[in-house]
Amino acid sequence: MAAENGPLEQFVIERLIPLHLGKYDISYTNSALLMTIAVVLITLLLVVGTRRAALVPGRLQSTAELSYEFVANMVRENVGTEGIEFFPLVFSIFMFVLFGNVLGLIPYSFTFTGQIVVTFALAIFVFLLVTLVAFIKHGIHFFTFFFPAGAPVFMAPILVPIEIVSYMSRPVSLGIRLFANMMAGHTMMAVFAAFTITLGVFGFMPIAINVALFALEIIVTALQAYVFTILTCLYLRDAIYLH
Amino acid sequence: MSEGDPPDRLSRLGDRIEQARAGEKPPAPAKPDDRGLGGALGYALRMGAELLGALLVGVALGWVFDRFLGTRPWGLIAFFFIGAAAGVMNVYRATVGGGRGGGAR
Repeated sequence: MAAENGPLEQFVIERLIPLHLGKYDISYTNSALLMTIAVVLITLLLVVGTRRAALVPGRLQSTAELSYEFVANMVRENVGTEGIEFFPLVFSIFMFVLFGNVLGLIPYSFTFTGQIVVTFALAIFVFLLVTLVAFIKHGIHFFTFFFPAGAPVFMAPILVPIEIVSYMSRPVSLGIRLFANMMAGHTMMAVFAAFTITLGVFGFMPIAINVALFALEIIVTALQAYVFTILTCLYLRDAIYLH
Repeated sequence: MSEGDPPDRLSRLGDRIEQARAGEKPPAPAKPDDRGLGGALGYALRMGAELLGALLVGVALGWVFDRFLGTRPWGLIAFFFIGAAAGVMNVYRATVGGGRGGGAR
C-alpha cells in the first residue's frame, strides 16, 4: 500500500468480512462497521432517551429532545411549515452525518464521512429526492426554475445552460464540501502527529498544535453536519416553493 | 392567574396558539458560517466547493456531449466556460443569497 504509515493511511478501507455478489465486491468493511455503530448509537440514544420520559428530563432524554428540537426548528425556519413532512428524512441525515463525523474523531476509529463515495452518495440521494419532489409538486412548471424571472428572452441560450449546470453542481459541491472538510482535518492532524516523532525533544510543539486542531475539529464536525442539513433544507424549500 | 372557568380558557387556547404562530418571524435566510476560525475555514472550503463543483459538472457535461455527438473539442470548450460562469454565479448566490448554494434563486 502506497499510503503505509503516511497521513493518508487512516482512510484505507479494510475488508473485515469479504463478501462477493456476482462480480461485485460487497464486503463488510471498516467503513460499514462504523456506519453500523453510528446507526445503533443513534437508535439507542433516541429509544433509551425517550423510554422513561420524565417531565424533568435526565441527561440522555435532554440530548434526545435537544437534537429533535434543533432539527425541527431548522426545518420549520428554512423549509417552512409545509416542509415538516420531510422532518424524518432531514433528522436522519443530520444524525447520521453528525455521528459519522464525531465517531471519526475517536482514535483508531474510521471516518466514513471522509470517504467521497459516502458523502457523494448522500448528496446524490438528496439531489434526486429534491428534484423528484419538485416534479411531483409542480410538474412541467419545474423547468421555469432554469430561467431567471425578468431576464430578457434573447439571453435564454446563455442563461439556461448556466442555470442547468448550476443546478447540477449542487450534489457535487454538497458532497465535496463534507468530504473535503473531514479529510483535510484528519490529514492535518496525522501530519502534525508525525512531526511529534521526528522533532524529538521539541515534539511538544506539534502536540500543542494537535490539541488546538482537535478542538477545531470538534467544531468542524458539528458545523459540517449542520451545513449539510441546512443545505438539504434550503434545496427542499426551493423544490416546494419554486420561487 | 384567576380562577376563570376552564372551558373558556381552553377554547381561547387555540386562538392564542394561532397568535403566537403568526408572531413567529418568516423563514429568514440562514447564515451558518460565522463562528471564529472554524467558521472561516468552513466558509472558504464551502466557496471553493461551489466554484469547483460547477466547473467539474460543466467539464463532465462537455466531455459527455463530445463523446456522443463527436464534436470534440468544442463541447468541452463551451461547457468549460458555462461551468465557470455557473461556479461564479453559485458563489455570488451563496454570498448575497443568504448562504444558499448552487441553483438557488
